[in-house]
Amino acid sequence: MLNYIWLFLIITALVVGIGNDINDEVKNTYRNNVVLDVIFLPSNPLVDSNTRLEGHIYLTAKQFNDFYGVITQHEDVKQDVIISFSNDGKGSFYLACNESTPKLWKEMSKSALGNDRLTGRVERIEFSNERSEAKASIIFEPIRFVKIKAITQAAIDYARIAVEIAIGLIGIMALWLGLIKIAQEAGLVKVLTRALTPLTKRLFPDVPSDHPAMGAIIMNTAANMLGLSNAATPIGLKAMEELNKLNPKVGTATNAMVTFLAINTGGLILIPATAIAVRAAAGSANPGIIIGTSIFGAACATVAGVVASKLLQRLPRYKKELLDDKKDIKGAEE
Amino acid sequence: MSDFFRAFINLISIIAIPLMIAVFLSWGFAKKVKVYEVFVEGAKDGFNTAIRIIPYLVAMLFAIGIFRASGAMDVLASIIAPVTNLIGMPAETLPMALMRPLSGSGSLGIMTELMKTHGTDSFIGVLVSTMYGSTETTFYVLAVYFGSVNIKKTRHAVPAGLIGDFAGILAAVLICRILFGV
Repeated sequence: MLNYIWLFLIITALVVGIGNDINDEVKNTYRNNVVLDVIFLPSNPLVDSNTRLEGHIYLTAKQFNDFYGVITQHEDVKQDVIISFSNDGKGSFYLACNESTPKLWKEMSKSALGNDRLTGRVERIEFSNERSEAKASIIFEPIRFVKIKAITQAAIDYARIAVEIAIGLIGIMALWLGLIKIAQEAGLVKVLTRALTPLTKRLFPDVPSDHPAMGAIIMNTAANMLGLSNAATPIGLKAMEELNKLNPKVGTATNAMVTFLAINTGGLILIPATAIAVRAAAGSANPGIIIGTSIFGAACATVAGVVASKLLQRLPRYKKELLDDKKDIKGAEE
Repeated sequence: MSDFFRAFINLISIIAIPLMIAVFLSWGFAKKVKVYEVFVEGAKDGFNTAIRIIPYLVAMLFAIGIFRASGAMDVLASIIAPVTNLIGMPAETLPMALMRPLSGSGSLGIMTELMKTHGTDSFIGVLVSTMYGSTETTFYVLAVYFGSVNIKKTRHAVPAGLIGDFAGILAAVLICRILFGV
């Protein structure tokens, strides 16, 4: 099933990406080659011989929305720009994006050549009598293939992020694997698992109750519930390694592994710290209000996942995959 | 009551790791385990395990990454929207429900965005943060855990994980409607 979902994600991304770009081109979403009239307010007094003007451009939210045919801009637009003129009187401008830049322009700037900046031509600039402001007509450099460029960038970025995550795991993996090894040699894991044997026997009937995998599974679940992800992942991977020692068929998931992962992906956590932190930062009057609802949601997710894993493992198609098949084992070893 | 519970759990979370280290080491020492040698022996596997995950994680994150970048989420959400309206789930929260199993940072972004637009203590604000806390990033966990032992045939792990996610989202909508419903 992972095959299909993986393929679905990639194909959908490419099809929708190209579709969105064609749609942008047809509707001219970014108003390529269309003149935008803005007010230019210079920050320094003007001198005639100036070839470089600093200041900001201004247009109202309504003008912005009307021009791009959107409703997303609520505040008037005021952005720092630098305008420079060449000898033949033609002008160009340069706009560095910041916090207050409209979302659409930010999107455009990501796709433009320079990072987080927009450039374009100044078609006409006409100063008022006091020279304190000017009417300017500008055209942004054409923006095309936004989504395709974003997809290319994402593919490269995420490949790098994956390696960074894995490398980042090395240290804490080593730390926890070392500590667990001591606990195993000392027989501590057996003491830990004994109390929970009635429960674990039902959940993992294929795993002997004094097997090291059991200790790791219990410690992983406890660490997850306490929100200690730095400890939970290494211990969880240790549990997978131990479960794999009981695996009759190399490269194929066992029933116990699937049940273990169902508990894990259920994500039962006593204090959803990340969500609470975001709520507090966003100014919630009661950030902790979601503790109860989250525990309820996660408990339902965990129970449903475990029940599903138990029921699905009886289906013939999944049973068949686990059966020993000499040809397959040979293939996996190669 | 809720405050006491929170303080109690926070305290346990803070002391858990030092306590585990202390108990493991002193227990090992009492049982005459050569603690240093055994620790190093165990820690050796850390590198190999982490490196083994890389191909699985690259495959998974790259697919999820381009899916997010393409804007396919909005298209998917608009297709499914009529169904979720039936169970009283606001259409705005649908991208969150779809993103949660795929990407932790992606769903975090959606949660923050929705709370900014609708307010943290609005029904939508409470619902998205409950959804975020109600389930894990299923596909990331699958890639890392199965990757660490080189398992390619995942059998029923994906359907079981997704059924769990679906139940978690459904339960979040249900409990939020009962407690904070409009």
